[in-house]
Amino acid sequence: MPIKVENLSFVYNEGTPYATVALNNVTFEIQDEEFVGIIGHTGSGKSTLIQHLNGLLKPTSGKIYINGVDITDKKVSLKDVRKEVGLVFQYPEYQLFEETIFKDIAFGPTNLGLSEEEIEKRVYEAMDIVGISRELADKSPFEVSGGQKRRIAIAGILAMKPKILILDEPTAGLDPKGKEEILNKIKEIHDKYKMITILVSHSMEDIARFADKIIVMNKGRIEVIGTPREVFREAEKLEKIGLGVPQITSLARELQKKGVAIPEDILTIEEAKEYIVRYLRGTKNV
Amino acid sequence: MEHVINTQNLSFEYHAEEQTRHLVLKDINLQFEKGQFIGIIGHNGSGKSTLAKHFNALLLPTEGKVYVKGMDTKDTNHLWDIRQAAGLVFQNPDNQIVAAIVEEDVAFGPENLGIPPDEIRERVEYALKAVGMWEYKDYPPHMLSGGQKQRVAIAGIIAMKPECIILDEPTAMLDPIGRREVISTIKKLNKEDGITVILITHFMEEVVDADRVIVMDDGKVVLDGTPKEVFKEVTLLKKIGLSVPQVTELAHQLKREGFDVPLDILTVEEMVEFLCR
Ligand SMILES: Nc1ncnc2c1ncn2[C@@H]1O[C@H](COP(=O)(O)OP(=O)(O)O)[C@@H](O)[C@H]1O
Ligand SMILES: Nc1ncnc2c1ncn2[C@@H]1O[C@H](COP(=O)(O)OP(=O)(O)O)[C@@H](O)[C@H]1O
Ligand SMILES: [Mg+2]
Ligand SMILES: [Mg+2]
Repeated sequence: MPIKVENLSFVYNEGTPYATVALNNVTFEIQDEEFVGIIGHTGSGKSTLIQHLNGLLKPTSGKIYINGVDITDKKVSLKDVRKEVGLVFQYPEYQLFEETIFKDIAFGPTNLGLSEEEIEKRVYEAMDIVGISRELADKSPFEVSGGQKRRIAIAGILAMKPKILILDEPTAGLDPKGKEEILNKIKEIHDKYKMITILVSHSMEDIARFADKIIVMNKGRIEVIGTPREVFREAEKLEKIGLGVPQITSLARELQKKGVAIPEDILTIEEAKEYIVRYLRGTKNV
Repeated sequence: MEHVINTQNLSFEYHAEEQTRHLVLKDINLQFEKGQFIGIIGHNGSGKSTLAKHFNALLLPTEGKVYVKGMDTKDTNHLWDIRQAAGLVFQNPDNQIVAAIVEEDVAFGPENLGIPPDEIRERVEYALKAVGMWEYKDYPPHMLSGGQKQRVAIAGIIAMKPECIILDEPTAMLDPIGRREVISTIKKLNKEDGITVILITHFMEEVVDADRVIVMDDGKVVLDGTPKEVFKEVTLLKKIGLSVPQVTELAHQLKREGFDVPLDILTVEEMVEFLCR
């Protein structure tokens, strides 16, 4: 289910004194199975962009094709779009409302009009996928930890079996351990089910490890787009808009300036180590 | 010497009346000196917020004592002196701002202390200038970004002329720019105005140049020292679910490869210097 966005612009409160241009001529494509990171600071347009991808917002101008179908066309049923494109909002735990965890996860599939057996099957599968014990099904979603609440919200979307999974800042406010757990879970789900996964974040370190493609947003425009390596080569541009690159990438850049044989687009500690070990062995032998 | 904050065998449980014991703080002994910048880290549930609330008498020890500038937090006669001396800033800026205009919000604390209007005006100006928000004095808080709101909340504390300011994950809900604004503001308050800062955070890079870093796990202090002393305990930190700076991790991996790398490298500059010396 490839995604194609063409010249997308969006203005909030158009025609009023409060008009805000939130997206300005945005164009990009996402291929099947891709893991995409969208990064940018608050107000850069990330949430506005992804809300267009499941039809929650209608473009002021521009087109959005999902699997070749223009979802901005009035004839397209948004219900069908939302069946395929699952969106997990930021701080989704605030949207849990049912009295049991089971009912909360069942909400989406119930709206799809599935049979009771199918709903039950999907709810338990989704709980397994996100790592919420089935024994908790009848507990209140308000009695579990913050990290667990967030998993429940993700399970609610997974139970709809979307072909495209979009998560808006799923690690916001979690501690390093909770963050690792959620990120690894998302990566695991992507690797297993191969759905297009779009992860919105403002942490480069989070995105650098997993993404096939990174879209850097700034003031409603795409500032840089490409593979993590391509994007991190633009370190100066990123720093100018207040994003920065992972610490290990800046180390590589600094070392390269000093004449050490190391590419400037290093992404992981392991990679850096390889070159540095080679460098240290080399200089020692001299 | 009198410490700004001094805990003596502090233990705490939320439901002390219940039969089963569930200590959230276990025998904490900490003395904080005036003018220091202290970082407290630990994963969720390790007891950081519970500890912070003991520093300004929002919670009282189940066992042991907490003294703020020598005043026992259990002594109700000193409650307002303690709250004035040690101000607490929370994670979510939206829950801390009470008034409809920035200036009024900052004046709220000193008004409650019964300070004369002229002095309040002076203090509000000083506090808003100190956090770089004076131009926004007439704004309604909801027009501000998260980082700006958090700076207004800090100004509200500064206007009380505290000895010490305690910030409980003040940047957790902010983006990188907001985080930078808040961190540089509190560093400046510490360096230039001599205010003691206790910063609770998950972000290791916010405490690499603190005077002292304290690591909490399961209600206990498990590490306490300079950032270099603390961050070189990579294995322990990872075991309790905390991360270390990427270059520190790299130093440890190089050591394992047999290179003679100092294990307390924290910054890119230090690593470059070591490798290219
Ligand atoms: N519901 C809304 N009404 C008016 N303006 C909005 C609304 N939501 C977002 N905006 C504005 O649109 C811009 C982009 O916001 P958003 O898409 O939320 O960015 P991000 O998710 O990157 O923080 C910002 O200027 C923001 O203030
Ligand atoms: N109001 C409360 N009532 C009962 N237990 C609480 C309350 N607040 C926190 N706790 C418990 O105390 C422990 C420490 O929590 P907290 O101090 O908030 O840790 P941290 O700030 O490090 O995340 C946790 O087990 C938490 O569930
Ligand atoms: Mg957003
Ligand atoms: Mg806390």
